[in-house]
Amino acid sequence: MMDALIFVLAGAFATATPLLFAALGELVVEKSGVLNLSVEGMMALSAAIAFMVTLQSGSHLVGFIAGAASGALLSAVFAVLVLGFMANQVAAGLAVGILGLGLSSLLGRSFEGATLLGIDKIAIPLLSEIPVLGKILFTQDIVVYVGIAATGLVAWFLYRTKAGLTLRVIGENPNTAHALGMRPVGVRFLAILFGGVMAGFAGAYASTVLTPLWSQDMIAGRGWIAVALVVFGTWRPGRVAVGAYLFGAVSLLGLALQAMGIGIPAQFMTCLPYVLTIVVLVAISADKVRVRLNAPAALGESYRAAS
Amino acid sequence: MRHWMRTALATAALGIALTVSAEADPFKIGYLLPNPVGELGWSYELDRGGRAIAEKFGDQVEVQFVNSLGEGPDATRVMNKMAADGVDMLVLGSFGYQQDGMKLAKRYPKLSVVHIGGYMNAPNFSTLTPRHYEAAYLCGMAAGMVTKSETLGVIAAFPLPEVLNVMNAYVLGAQSANANLKPVKVIWLNSWFDPAMEKASTESLASQGTDVVFSLFPGTPGPMAAAEQLGIYGTVTHSDNSKFAPTKHLCAGQLNFGPVMIKKVEEAMAGNFKGDDVFAGIADNAIAVAGLNKDLSDEQRAQILARQDEMRAGTFKPFTGPITSNQDKEAVPAGTSLDDGAIKGMNFLVKGIDTTIPK
Repeated sequence: MMDALIFVLAGAFATATPLLFAALGELVVEKSGVLNLSVEGMMALSAAIAFMVTLQSGSHLVGFIAGAASGALLSAVFAVLVLGFMANQVAAGLAVGILGLGLSSLLGRSFEGATLLGIDKIAIPLLSEIPVLGKILFTQDIVVYVGIAATGLVAWFLYRTKAGLTLRVIGENPNTAHALGMRPVGVRFLAILFGGVMAGFAGAYASTVLTPLWSQDMIAGRGWIAVALVVFGTWRPGRVAVGAYLFGAVSLLGLALQAMGIGIPAQFMTCLPYVLTIVVLVAISADKVRVRLNAPAALGESYRAAS
Repeated sequence: MRHWMRTALATAALGIALTVSAEADPFKIGYLLPNPVGELGWSYELDRGGRAIAEKFGDQVEVQFVNSLGEGPDATRVMNKMAADGVDMLVLGSFGYQQDGMKLAKRYPKLSVVHIGGYMNAPNFSTLTPRHYEAAYLCGMAAGMVTKSETLGVIAAFPLPEVLNVMNAYVLGAQSANANLKPVKVIWLNSWFDPAMEKASTESLASQGTDVVFSLFPGTPGPMAAAEQLGIYGTVTHSDNSKFAPTKHLCAGQLNFGPVMIKKVEEAMAGNFKGDDVFAGIADNAIAVAGLNKDLSDEQRAQILARQDEMRAGTFKPFTGPITSNQDKEAVPAGTSLDDGAIKGMNFLVKGIDTTIPK
């Protein structure tokens, strides 16, 4: 029983890590007023490329860098479409996402069936020896710790730095920001690239650590869950992280309960993480005023610089 | 007049040339698979069956392999093209090819179609299904022998009859080798394909004391690789996965499509192709246990192989009564064995499996 609990809570961190990275990236993009719906495609492409590179180079670090680079590259295509050509953000995001999915199958096919070793979990000295909690919190791989740190860094950047304030102002009203001497297009471009890098890490983690193998459709909708987490987490990094870990824990809970032979229909258990994550996040964001305070007012609107 | 002569001569010459080339023409086989071939697993084994045909008949046959062929319009187009080009036989490796294959079989009566799995038949359309459950029974015996915690786990995709009969045979085999077995734990993935969840399921089962996990029709070698890392035994269908679990690979149901495929090709080449349902098992050399772990004693290994010989000889059938379902109903009465139809349509789980069939 205790072992099952440790499995669920400890495993939740690894299961949630791709969601967390992708969602944090998307959060920053949306805070700048841009809706990028290509997260699934960016994750798929970077999962394929990170896998290939890790397999060839034997280094997970190089694989992660390649994954981040490919995520950034695809997001740059999106940025050119929406910032340069003023394309509709929803349509451009979907198109770039489909491009990413297609490219990932094209490139990855020859690597299907190959497997990698994951990366070792790090047991933090002393802390990892605490009963139960040590195994849950302090025996994880390095990327999980980086994900937790990234949540704090994104929150600090958005709410405690001048650059973060600039980004949020642009997300609220790019015209005002421009009049104040800020550069909406440049800032949005950087935000979109950051989103690409984070989706790239997410894909790289999924294919080289979590699974670790590549196969077509392996992202299996996790990019869309990341987009949904940003909205249901009301654009707050902490809440997005809670949502991601909750989703991870509940999806593993289903497996643990099934293994215990508890007579809950398997289909119900499969949809439970989606239902429960939505219910909890809706509950914590029930205060409409606060949601409106956090939602970027100019989200999804094209911005044309006044000349 | 001279012009007429020339045309006639040319036509005659062309006719002779055509006849000669038709006689030298190899027997053409189109071999269609939905997925990339990979290094092991379902598609790999099917592909190996095709290679066995090519090797056996040499110049007499020409096998055209097409893999990664998506079900739907792509498959329809490729199949129609092959049939129109005069292919003599089609081997269809996916359930989604069945409807189109049947249409072609009706349109081209001389074409022979072998469809892997499925339920349709015509005089020139036969199905071919391996008896996975026979090897699963033997692997179950191995699992019953090595388990220390007396707790086995199964990871399966969907509760289809073909999955249920494999699961039941596995558990019956395990129970035959170990009288103290605890209820077998089952995780339904509800997906043919989710590598992350396949791996997590293995971890979940291990965390609850399972020390042998059975990866039933896996999408990936993920569960076997995870079992190796967790230090528990792994059992698998389709292919020997020893490569992914060098020390913890307990047993695999190794498919071997070659012999049955060659038989169908021989039938077609001799002009007496039968549109039957081939349910090919150990007796047909279509499946056998492979990759037995070295932790099994010589005696245990001999027991498993003796059972396999009994299945080959037809003196032992896994689904022989009395078998009780896990709803405590009599599933197979004492003294009778299930026929092939009942095995293919299985809709119960045997006593000792700790799950219900999801509706």
